[in-house]
Formats: sequence, C-alpha cells, structure tokens
Amino acid sequence: MASPRIQAGTAAETPPTLWDPVVRVTHWGIAASVLLNALLDEGGSVLHVTIGWIVMALLFLRMVWGVLGPVEARFSAFPPNPLAALRHLRQLATGRVRHYPSHNPAGALMAYAFWATLAVVTATGLIMTGGATPMQVAADKAAVASGDWSALIRDGEGASDEDESLGKAAKEVHDVAANLLLILAALHVAGVALESRAMRRNLVAAMLIGKRQR
Amino acid sequence: MSIGPDILVSGRRQIVALSIFLVIQTLGTVFYVGDVIADLREDPASAHFVFEAIVTAALVLGVILGTFALRRTIELLRSQEQALAVARGALSEVIEGQFDAWALTPAERDVGLLALKGLDVAEIAELRGAAQGTVRAQLTRIYSKAGVSGRAQFAAFFVEDLLSGGLKAA
Ligand code: HEM
Ligand code: HEM
Repeated sequence: MASPRIQAGTAAETPPTLWDPVVRVTHWGIAASVLLNALLDEGGSVLHVTIGWIVMALLFLRMVWGVLGPVEARFSAFPPNPLAALRHLRQLATGRVRHYPSHNPAGALMAYAFWATLAVVTATGLIMTGGATPMQVAADKAAVASGDWSALIRDGEGASDEDESLGKAAKEVHDVAANLLLILAALHVAGVALESRAMRRNLVAAMLIGKRQR
Repeated sequence: MSIGPDILVSGRRQIVALSIFLVIQTLGTVFYVGDVIADLREDPASAHFVFEAIVTAALVLGVILGTFALRRTIELLRSQEQALAVARGALSEVIEGQFDAWALTPAERDVGLLALKGLDVAEIAELRGAAQGTVRAQLTRIYSKAGVSGRAQFAAFFVEDLLSGGLKAA
C-alpha cells in the first residue's frame, strides 16, 4: 500500500474518527438526494432530473475516490466479502465485534449494495429521459408550455414498439430500485445504530464533524 | 502556545476547501459531458464538437488531478500530525533525560518544565503555590546545574537539540 508509515499510528486498526471530506460530502449529498427524489419531488420533473444528475456526479466522484483516495476510503480497504459480513453479524449478535480500519464487512456490503442500486436507478432514469440533461429537460418543458409541441417529437422520433417497451421496463426497474434504496436506507440506519452501540463509538459523528478534540 | 496545531488547522481547512472545489468541479464536468454527448448525437460532424471534446478531456483530467492533489494533501497532513506527535513524545523524552543528567530534584524538574513552557516567575509561583523568591532561587539552581546563563539559554539548549536532528533517533 502507498503509505503504511502513515497508517502505522495507533489508529491503524480502528475506523477513522473523522472521514475525509470527500466521503462525507458524497455521503450526505447522495443521502439527501435519494430521500428527496424518492419521497418528495415529482418523478420526471426538472428538479428530479437535476437531483438525479447530481447523484450521478457524486457517485462518480466517490468511485474515483475509491481508487485514488486515501487508504481507508479505497475499495481495497473494504472489499466486498459476504462471508466476513456474516461473521461480523454473528459477532454483533454476541456483542463482541472486531474493529476494522475502514467500514466493517457488513457495512461495506451495504455500501456496495447502495452504489449498485444507485447505478441502476440513474441508468434507468437516463433511459427514460433519453439521456437529456436537466437543461434540455427544462428547455423542452418550457417549449411545450409555450405551445411548441415539436419538442415532444424528439422523444417520439421513430419511437418503435421496442423503444416503448424499453421505456416501460426502465420505468418499472427505476421504481423498484428506488424503493429498494429506501429499504436499504432503513436497514443501513438501523445497522449504524447497532454498530455504534456494539463498538462504543459514534459512527455518525465520524461521518459529520468528528469529535472536537481541541 | 505552540505553532504545531496552527499548521494542522490550516491544513485541515485547505483539505475542506480542496474537497468542496473538487465536488463542484465534478458536478460541472458531469453536466458538461452530458451536454456534449447530447450534442454529439444530434450532429456528430460539427466542428463545435471537436472543441467540446477538448474541453471535456481537460475537465476530466482536472478532476483526476484534483483528486490526486487532495489525496497528497491529506496524506501530507497525516504525516505532519504523526511527526508532530513523535516530536512531542521525543522532545519530552529528551527533556526528561537531560533533567536526569543534571540531577534536578523533583521540584526543580517541575519548575524547569514550566519555565520551558514559557511561564514567567509569577505564573510558576502561583501554579505551585510557592513564593516568587522560592521559584527564583530554584530557577537559579537549575541554570547553574545546566551550566547556562539564564532562561533564554536554558530554552535554547533544547531547541538546539531539536534542530540538530538529535530527535531523529525516535
Ligand atoms: C438514503 C440515504 C443513505 C444512503 C444512500 C447512504 C449510503 C451510504 C454509503 C454508500 C456509505 C458508505 C460510505 C462511503 O464509503 O462512501 C454509508 C456510510 C455511512 N452512513 Fe449512510 N446512507 C444513507 C443515509 C444515512 C443516514 C440517514 C445516516 C445517519 C444515521 C447514515 C450514516 C452513515 C454512517 C455513520 C456511515 C459510515 C458507516 C461506517 O462507519 O462504516 N447514512 N452510507
Ligand atoms: C437518487 C436517484 C433517484 C431516485 C431515488 C428516483 C426515484 C424515482 C421515483 C420513486 C419515481 C417514481 C415517481 C412517481 O411514481 O411519480 C421516479 C420517476 C422518474 N424518475 Fe427518478 N429517481 C432517481 C434518479 C433519476 C434520474 C437520474 C433520472 C433521469 C436522468 C430520473 C428520471 C425519472 C423520470 C423521467 C421519472 C418519471 C417516470 C414516469 O413516471 O414516467 N430519476 N424516480
């Protein structure tokens, strides 16, 4: 690894007391966006698509950070390992958990599940909108509102049965995946609470501002 | 008191600023690239596209470089934090060792340490609940055991050690 010397301190075997800002900003940005898009705004609206694109960007940044970021934020620090995750859950049940230098194996699996589902949601969203950017969606809507229906033709252009059924399938998958995200989020918050109790450390603080030391 | 934490605080601020910048940069890049792709599908042959492709490449490169810069800054700060901790530990070891060598009494050790921390006679006396005259006498004995002319030389003794690399051993 790139910097074992830096990790060699006392903290090497415990998770960070404060995650780096990229992890924190992408986390809370994605969390807020998912809740907004799944619960509050209207699917397909300009706001919805804009937030969807923001999620796409944050997800992209987190993926880059997972390769190029500091040691504990890299994918290699929390590889997906279902067996280790099960072992960890068993330990959690007995109340004696091991500590890990990054996410614990169960939390890691949760993170990958989130990211995969987010990729599905954004991909199907892009299919439904024909890849239109939020700016284009807004322009099209404004055109239609002013009575210029030709903006709709771009969508309908050569809309074969195949395209139509693809759109339908995308909508189905988009809906299901969005609901899956909410289920995962509920499990996730419960997991964070359990884990914080078992490890006697405030995991949420490490995702927010950490403990004030000075 | 010490300059260390200030360096770390400004390092942390720099990291937060770089991160926010990186997030904005990424948002801009993704939205721009989406636009370029949409343009491309409408008119693949336009000269406009060549320009947009170059800007896209520059933006993507910018995100990658920004990521590297941020990672480097974070790792630099961490190694500074650690070096500082080591230096603190090492310096106090050096001080302890030197006090042993000078055969300071326990009271003299306390007074000497407080003097090194920059407290003046009145403050040391108040902290220790002693008369100022007592503290002054203790300091005089410390200086004579150390063979230094006064407070400035006393402090310089340890700084010298720090600068001459005497702490590397730790
Ligand atoms: C829909 C909403 C949410 C999503 C999609 C989500 C997603 C994620 C992801 C992907 C990670 C891994 C972080 C990384 O390495 O980048 C994570 C970690 C974390 N999340 Fe969330 N999250 C959501 C809501 C929440 C909420 C409401 C809380 C507050 C209770 C929370 C607290 C945490 C904590 C504490 C961690 C770090 C866990 C650890 O220390 O291993 N999350 N979340
Ligand atoms: C965090 C990501 C997202 C979540 C949680 C989410 C959630 C949802 C939900 C729950 C619906 C159904 C709303 C309803 O039934 O009225 C919906 C609809 C829709 N979403 Fe998303 N979405 C996300 C991202 C995106 C993205 C990135 C796009 C486009 C680029 C998009 C485009 C659409 C469209 C066009 C609809 C309308 C479907 C229709 O009714 O025909 N979404 N979304």
